[in-house]
Amino acid sequence: MNKVNDLVIPFKHRMFAHCESGTVAGLLNHAGLEISEPMVFGISSGILFAYYKPPALPFPMIVVRNFPGQMMRGVSRRLGVKFKTARYKNQARGEQAIDALLDKGIPVACRVDFFYMDYLPPYMRAHFNFHFLTIVGRKGSKFLVSDCYSTELAELERDSLRKGRYPGGSFDPKGFLFYPVRVPTDPDIDRAIKKGIRAACFNMLRLPVPFLGIRGIRLFSKKIMDWPGMARNDDHLSHEVMKINILLEDQGTGGAGYRFMYATFLRQASERLGRPELKEMSERMMLVGDDWRRISIHAARMGKNRDFAEEKFRELSGKISRQADAEELFFTDLAKIARTL
Amino acid sequence: MEVQVTKELKQEIKVLILESLNIPDVTPEDIEDDASLFEDENLGLDSIDGLEIVMALQEKYGVRIDDQNQARFILKSINTIAEFIAKELSKK
Repeated sequence: MNKVNDLVIPFKHRMFAHCESGTVAGLLNHAGLEISEPMVFGISSGILFAYYKPPALPFPMIVVRNFPGQMMRGVSRRLGVKFKTARYKNQARGEQAIDALLDKGIPVACRVDFFYMDYLPPYMRAHFNFHFLTIVGRKGSKFLVSDCYSTELAELERDSLRKGRYPGGSFDPKGFLFYPVRVPTDPDIDRAIKKGIRAACFNMLRLPVPFLGIRGIRLFSKKIMDWPGMARNDDHLSHEVMKINILLEDQGTGGAGYRFMYATFLRQASERLGRPELKEMSERMMLVGDDWRRISIHAARMGKNRDFAEEKFRELSGKISRQADAEELFFTDLAKIARTL
Repeated sequence: MEVQVTKELKQEIKVLILESLNIPDVTPEDIEDDASLFEDENLGLDSIDGLEIVMALQEKYGVRIDDQNQARFILKSINTIAEFIAKELSKK
C-alpha cells in the first residue's frame, strides 16, 4: 500500500436505528439536505413483509423491509438525489477508490459483512453481508468509520474493512460502495412522501406475489405449522424459531420489524403535510408494532425453552394470522387516505 | 409533572423485572442499582430477557422503547432504567 496521509472529513456522526436508512440519512444531511432516518425509510417505501425460501437455504426466511439497496434507490428516484455506485472485483482497487474519494473530501458508504466490524462488542456481531457504514477518514493503518450502531466515530483496520467488503459466500458485497454526487437543495419532499406511502400500500396489498406483503404474512402463519417437520432436530428448530425474534428485533430493525420506524415516518408526514389522519395511522401502526413484538417474544420463549408442543405453534400461527388481518386493514385504510393526499 | 428518580421507583422496577422474568431466587435487595443487568455475576440477562423487560415497562408505565440501540443503553442498570422512566413520565 502506498503511504497515505491522515485525514478526517467533518462528518457529523450519529447513531441510527437501522444501518441502510441511517447511512443514507447521514450522507444526505452531510450534503446539506436535512432529512430524518424515518423519512428516508418512508419515502423509499421501506416497509414490507416477505416469507421466502431461497433454493440454496434449508429454511425459509422472513424479511420485514424492502431489499438491501432499495432505500438508497427509492430516495434517489423520489427526491432526485443522484448516487454514484460501484463494485470492485479487485480488492486493492476497491480500497484505492475509497482513498481517492477521501482525498476529495467525499464520505463514502460501503456494504460489508457486519462480523468484521471489530469496534463493536463480539456479542453484537454476526455474519451478515448487508451491513452499511460510512468511511469518513483515515488514521495510520485504520479507516475512520461512522457506523450507526457505534456510539462514536470508530477506527477500523484496513485489513478488517477489506475482509468485510469481500467476505465471500452468499450475497458477497464485492466491494460495493456508494455516495451522493448530486443532492437537490430544495426537493419536493411532500410529493415524495405521498408517493412513498402509495407505493408502500401497493407493496403490502397488491403485489401479485404469494410470498410478499399481506400474502406473505398469511403464508408465514400457515407454513409455520410445518416447521417442526422441516427441522433436523430440536436444536435446529430452536435456532430457526429464535431467528424470528432476531429478524423482528435485533437486525437493526428499529424494533418490531420496522413498524415503529414506519409509525414515526407517518407522524412526521402528518406534521409536514398538516394531515391529522396520518397521525392517527401512526398511532395505529405503533400498536401493530407492539403485536409484532409480542410475536417475537412468544417465538423467543418457545425457542429458548424448547417448548415445541403443537399447541404452541398453533398459538403462534394464530397471532401471525391476526397480524395479517391487522396489517391488511391498516394498509387498506392508509391507501384510502393516500388517494386524498 | 416532574417525576424524580427515587428509591421507591428503583425498588418497583426491580420487583417488576424479577416478576416478569420469573426469577424467584433473587430478591430486589440482591440487585445493585448501578450493576450491569446483563453480566453473569449480576442477573446475567440475555437479549430476550431484555425484550421482556421492555414489554413489562411498557405495560406498567405506558412508555415505549422502540429501538434496540436505545434499549442497549436504557437497560444497562436499574439506575438507567429509572432515569428513563422518570424522564418519560415527566413528559406526560
